Amino acid sequence: MTADIVRVLLLLAQLGFVALLYIVLMRFAGSLLRDLRSAEEAQITSRSGIGRLSVLESPADEPPNGSTIALGPINSIGRNVNNTIFVEDDFVSANHAMLTFRGRSWFVEDQGSTNGTYVNGHRIERAVALSFGDELTVGRVRMRLDR
Amino acid sequence: MRIAWRGAELKLLLPILLLVPFGFVVTNIALSGALETGDLTMAVGYVGLIALAHVVLVASGHRGDQLVLPAVGVMGGIGIIMLNRLPQDLAGTRAFGLELGMASTQLLWFAVGIVAMLAIAVGLRDDGILRHYKYSWAAVGIALLAATMLFGYEVNGARLWIDLGAISIQPGELLKIVLVIFIAGYLAETRTLLTSASMRIGFLSVPPLPYFLPMLALFGVVMLIVVRLNDLGTALLFFGIFLTMLFVATGRRSYVLIGLILFVAGFYVAYQLFGHVHARVDVWIDPFADPLGAGFQPVRALYALGRGGLFGEGLGQGLVTLGGSLTIPFVHTDFIFTAIAEELGLLGAFALLGFAAVLVFRGLRIAALARDDFGALLAVGLTASLGLQTLIIIGGNTKLIPLTGITLPFVSYGGSSVVASFIMIGLLLAISHRSQSAEETSGS
Amino acid sequence: MIATNIRRLGLYLMLAFAVVSASGVWWQVIEADSLATRTDNPEVIAARRSLLRGTIFDASGQVLASSEVIDGLSRRSYFDPAFTHVLGYSSLRFGTTGLERAFEDILVGQTDPNPIRDLVSDVLDRQPQPRDLTLTIDKRLQDFAAAQLGSDAGAVVAIDPRTGAVLALVSAPTFDATPISGDPDGAQGAMDALRNDPAEPLLSRARQGLYVPGSILKVFTAAAALDAGVTTPDTTFENQPREEREGFVVDGFAIREHDLGGIEPALWPLSPALQVSSNIYFAHVGLELGQETFLEYARRFGFCAPMRIGPPDRGLSVGASFVTEEVDGDCGPFRDNVELASASFGQGRTAVTPVQMAMLAAAIAGDGVAPNPYVVKDVRAHAADGSLSHEVLETLGSGGGTRVVGSAAAAATRQAMVDAVNGELGRLYAGQADVTLYGIGDARSAGKTGTAELGGEQAPHSWFIGFAPAEDEATPRIAIAVLLERGGSGSAGAAPIAGRVMAEWLRLSEGS
Repeated sequence: MTADIVRVLLLLAQLGFVALLYIVLMRFAGSLLRDLRSAEEAQITSRSGIGRLSVLESPADEPPNGSTIALGPINSIGRNVNNTIFVEDDFVSANHAMLTFRGRSWFVEDQGSTNGTYVNGHRIERAVALSFGDELTVGRVRMRLDR
Repeated sequence: MRIAWRGAELKLLLPILLLVPFGFVVTNIALSGALETGDLTMAVGYVGLIALAHVVLVASGHRGDQLVLPAVGVMGGIGIIMLNRLPQDLAGTRAFGLELGMASTQLLWFAVGIVAMLAIAVGLRDDGILRHYKYSWAAVGIALLAATMLFGYEVNGARLWIDLGAISIQPGELLKIVLVIFIAGYLAETRTLLTSASMRIGFLSVPPLPYFLPMLALFGVVMLIVVRLNDLGTALLFFGIFLTMLFVATGRRSYVLIGLILFVAGFYVAYQLFGHVHARVDVWIDPFADPLGAGFQPVRALYALGRGGLFGEGLGQGLVTLGGSLTIPFVHTDFIFTAIAEELGLLGAFALLGFAAVLVFRGLRIAALARDDFGALLAVGLTASLGLQTLIIIGGNTKLIPLTGITLPFVSYGGSSVVASFIMIGLLLAISHRSQSAEETSGS
Repeated sequence: MIATNIRRLGLYLMLAFAVVSASGVWWQVIEADSLATRTDNPEVIAARRSLLRGTIFDASGQVLASSEVIDGLSRRSYFDPAFTHVLGYSSLRFGTTGLERAFEDILVGQTDPNPIRDLVSDVLDRQPQPRDLTLTIDKRLQDFAAAQLGSDAGAVVAIDPRTGAVLALVSAPTFDATPISGDPDGAQGAMDALRNDPAEPLLSRARQGLYVPGSILKVFTAAAALDAGVTTPDTTFENQPREEREGFVVDGFAIREHDLGGIEPALWPLSPALQVSSNIYFAHVGLELGQETFLEYARRFGFCAPMRIGPPDRGLSVGASFVTEEVDGDCGPFRDNVELASASFGQGRTAVTPVQMAMLAAAIAGDGVAPNPYVVKDVRAHAADGSLSHEVLETLGSGGGTRVVGSAAAAATRQAMVDAVNGELGRLYAGQADVTLYGIGDARSAGKTGTAELGGEQAPHSWFIGFAPAEDEATPRIAIAVLLERGGSGSAGAAPIAGRVMAEWLRLSEGS
């Protein structure tokens, strides 16, 4: 008799265990859905953001060290104040480089600067595609392209 | 460091605190036939470890993904319940003056793994060390392989283990991580070149060789050695990870197609050349042809799946041993999924697959949100590694693909596997943390 | 960009998860029932480990296998290794084989095809009732035949051509099945030893061994040609005497005669040709028959497909025999006439089981009707004291058979086989099969020797097929096939064994 009770209880416990697994899984599903929804909203509000530059090193602090610069589709870099991105550094030419978003990728092209434009430490000769995370150096200013 | 409350994580972790001890109690009642809870030290130890991980993440102000740890916690929990239910003398440790059974040993490895995970998740604030020294990582990988070739010993015909006196480790598990780091670093650097420029051979476009060759060469060497070590599962896994990362980096289905063609061709050659490959494929195609010899293990596993049915035989009530010997040899490593499917049924198996799918889903989300290409590719590689490993071994259990001797992450018994899997989770959390922090600084 | 690719990857991975889940559904739901009914399923074995199995008796009521339950564990004992390849074994570790497998459900007394479901219902209400089996084989003849083979590898198959009852089914070497049926650890050791034995005792040579038949297949060629009407017993081939010396050129390939041992070739019709076992004569007969007809008759006689001793759903399996190269378990086409000519005298690509050869002898002995072979005579209630119950629940062996050649063709072939043992020329080859040599004064045997050349330095397989009594008016009571692996010539090796076994059976069955 007691053996039967144990057996029935055991059966209930077994089913309970699997049920508990599914309850946990449902909670996961709930969390996933919530995240998806908020991600969609975030995407709508930040649709214009196609990338930004993080300033890693800037001896004259213009642009300020550690700051981030939101990028438009076409950005000019140089010591001339009319540039989209104004850089205060003696080693930077007046119109130094162009940073453009074409189609699906970022490209950087040197504008005939004296000291050149570097991507990940390599001097570029022509327009070069950039990946997020790549380091861009003009004069003594180092910046990173971020999402 | 300021505290970051991780509410979603806490909410998901709470039921696990109940789930694991509950599983232990059910197992004990089924095995003893009496209404007693049995010894719950191990269950409490396990949930304690998971809780500790949560507390450390909160205290260190970690902003990484909040679903990853709970998903891992459930998978590991199901694993430890199952390992506790199997005969404890299948494996174990007799070192450092300790004598531990299988489940206790696994718990010890969980502790090591979780510490490693936390160290990486919290400590790795800059991924430069991963990104910039990729060739050093490649060298570490080669060294691991060389060590296995020189000092390794064989288990089941595959030479995978290195004996370090008290414990044995499987370098392949660490090699996997190192390889993912290298490929991520290399692809992040050459991605744009690989995508923009390309040569055409016939109707297929192939990547420009000078950029591609170094990676292909290293990969070829690794594959060759892995095949020489007679570890087909790892070979398949590495190849899958590689193709996945290549696909994400370039978006070219043609690369994947070429890769698959190469793999099938290589496999066919191996099938013709190597007896053990041939034998394994034959067993896969018809294990019932020799149910007592070569097909013994897979046939017994299929029977166990059949016994499980939809609802399972119940925890502690499966036919694990028969006449003193295991019904399925290596049930605690290769066939842990089958044991779970037998006792928890198809429903339990689906739940386990569900948690693995959640983990994969979140890993890919971490990749999509990563701040830079390297982080994204690294996250993809780590996720692909965990996901493909799960698919390959479960597919092997259900005869979908030939059986291989790789582990089910967080579930199978095995220290190297557990620690390596936790290291991968640590890396994923670190990547996730970096992108979340960036989000907040720029957003505000 | 990367984000798009990751989303696609996610889709592919989820697809893979779905496929793996589907494979789980396949085994755990769709195939679960069919898995549960396989006899090598350890749960089926576990469920039956405590169940009593019925006793198996020989034709005269001697116990061959019995079970007893000790400490809740059912243990099977086998009492005569000569029967191992008939009974098979019932092992906790290795499942069941042979009759133990074919009659599994009857021996343990279960009726539901799903043993687990059946067990559940049975355990609740009552223990299943085991049933006993009685074989058609007489232990005395089986043991006698086994003793004749001794330690040599080979097989003896004897069938009653009138009923199809199997009288002897011996494969040598054999083994004791009791240790394999014992405790799993000991069973593993015993099985390992058997698997590693170079003599291959696990192979059921009589049923599953495939051997080149050599000259015994000429009996088939003769019967088929006579029945098809392409030859008569008087047919001769005019160039045959010359070709005996110089070779018979078929499609540019010269077929040569075996060593006739000083017998001078002449223009032989069927009887002397079979007596001296002329390869040239039967090559001609086979070519007259043609490739298509040859294959058609082979299929009629049961070649080219697996067969069963007993009912189709409950019989001992016998491997397929082949007269041409095997293609997917069937006889393929002849490549050319050289192969046809070679097959006609039992070489070429022919490969046969001893059971199939015994069936060939039985068909000739049975007036052209191949009987339906069976080895389990009846199913009886189980007697607790292990004695033979008189309560017969089911009688097996329907009798009847399949006509493979007409009476006239069978009679002419039979006469040639009688001459092959008793004739002036034949006596030199098959004379040792004459039952009168072994104390049966009033009966004659018929038969044919075979010496299957294997090429190279290997000793040939030694064959004999035949039947007795074979004198006019007599109805043969035993048809036999004897094979000695690498036993040398048929006349020295297999023929005397066949003669002794047939004589022994005529003695034992006297008055029946």
